[in-house]
Amino acid sequence: MYGGDEVSAIVIDLGSHTCKAGYAGEDAPKAVFPSVVGSIEQQEVVNGTKFEKESESMSDLKGGLKGLDSEKAKTKRKLYVGSQALGFRRDHMEVISPFQDGVVADWDIVDNIWAHAFKDRLLIDPMEHPMLLAEPTSNAPQQRERMAEILFENYKVPALFVAKNAVLTSFASGRATSLVVDSGGGSTTVAPVQDGYVLQKGVATSPIGGEFLTECMMKSLESKGIIFKPRYSFKRKEARPGDFQTIDLDFPNTTERYKLYSQRLIASDIKECVCRAPDTPYDESAYANIPMTPYELPDGQIIEIGADRFKIPDILFNPSLVQTIPGMENFIDSSPVRGLPQMVIESINKCDVDIRRELFSSILLSGGTASMQQLKERLEKDLMEESPQAARVKVLASGNATERRFSVWIGGSILASLGSFQQMWFSKGEYEEHGASYIQRKCP
Amino acid sequence: MALLRSYSNASSGMGVADHCRDTFLELQRKKTHRYVIFKIDEKRKEVIVEKTGGAAESYDDFLACLPENDCRYAVYDFDFVTQENCQKSKIFFIAWSPSVSRIRAKMLYATTKQRFRREMDGVHYEIQATEPSELDIEVLRDRAN
Repeated sequence: MYGGDEVSAIVIDLGSHTCKAGYAGEDAPKAVFPSVVGSIEQQEVVNGTKFEKESESMSDLKGGLKGLDSEKAKTKRKLYVGSQALGFRRDHMEVISPFQDGVVADWDIVDNIWAHAFKDRLLIDPMEHPMLLAEPTSNAPQQRERMAEILFENYKVPALFVAKNAVLTSFASGRATSLVVDSGGGSTTVAPVQDGYVLQKGVATSPIGGEFLTECMMKSLESKGIIFKPRYSFKRKEARPGDFQTIDLDFPNTTERYKLYSQRLIASDIKECVCRAPDTPYDESAYANIPMTPYELPDGQIIEIGADRFKIPDILFNPSLVQTIPGMENFIDSSPVRGLPQMVIESINKCDVDIRRELFSSILLSGGTASMQQLKERLEKDLMEESPQAARVKVLASGNATERRFSVWIGGSILASLGSFQQMWFSKGEYEEHGASYIQRKCP
Repeated sequence: MALLRSYSNASSGMGVADHCRDTFLELQRKKTHRYVIFKIDEKRKEVIVEKTGGAAESYDDFLACLPENDCRYAVYDFDFVTQENCQKSKIFFIAWSPSVSRIRAKMLYATTKQRFRREMDGVHYEIQATEPSELDIEVLRDRAN
């Protein structure tokens, strides 16, 4: 048993798009930063001039990264974590993600993300705080053992707990049994939860998440002749008051991936500002004459967005729409992808007959993409049309956008702060006695 | 170990006061209560009995005792007459978690439910409700038939 009442626990939800970290008991995560990191391959034989350049740009950085530097010295690449470090363009910097197909493939990156969260953002010593981690609903046992190993061995945390995303969302809404529809950055997962356990046989996932929609938005606008100028590629000067001039800058050594990353940031903001799920399936002709919404790009260009406002979100409901977006046509061919309502119905149908009714009436939305305007209403409407007659369909989502977006983190935050929870931790002592596999018992 | 394994993925670790089980048995065996309402006492770190209702009380009396903006557990002894004119009684377990209550309360009650529910041996049906419409007497009648 770990008696850690007096120090507050740290809660981390490392999503495919964003990492959320903060102190247990608070109502929102203190640190929210990208889950992708910048990486520069280090050459064995360092070329003199190049080395100078690099160290110069390093000193430009705010002191925050110093802790990471010393740790990274042993590997051959240098990682840049956090919005600030990633927002600064560097020659030859790639943008890489620790995830592959929704699971962690590169633990070194995760290690760096944690270090950034603890040392640069939360300013805590991990040795002093128990850690509650949210894990993807379909995480494998080996993944959580690896996670426990790194936290106990490298960070010497005093205690640990791992809870599944879907379970935390379900509990935070007061339900032990529910169907959790988690639409995040990298993917969408539908998971039935019964009495606090995820029913793995009913879990359905699709690669259509926020990032995919962002990509569609970008391709669609580009096909209309709009050019996304990344923020680093120009300077704006105020020539006269109120009159701005844009001067293009040339950085030939910028990697393609970094350019794309910067462009996606813009497209993602457009998506978040203007998109809205249409009330009925998207229809090209019906939306041809809808009023345009203006949006100002970072370089001052004002663009107008029309049907795409509704078409892009509708891809969640009808993935075959991507075939009409130039540059995305081949997506469906590679794997059959179902729309959100079909995923929900299939998932429920894989569960016991006894609980189907209950699941239909407690469908919970969570994740950034699920916070899209009108998405809840549309999903409820589509499901009512397609579900069995006797089922009473109810889609629930917190009215508060922050709560919806961070439901997993908030669930973890409350759980870890409960006085009675303190006896549930997987402690360092238990780890030393029973090994990493003991986590499967402590956090089933 | 057996105890550990029966916890759900995330559990509050809250205990259950002995008198909860006794009061439930009184409802089940002796029929002295129509309903029992339980609440979590965070200071004592356990679930306790908040209120019991006499055998003569109605379903509406019971509903009136559930707070509008806080969570509770309850058991209700539902008497009804079947189509074959047969007098029957079924015990319902209700997890009341109104959507307007604080997330902290919802989390606390949801993570403790499974542990508490184990003590209520002999419940026939279970209902989780987040708004009064889910507790309509018709819902109970529907389930019991």
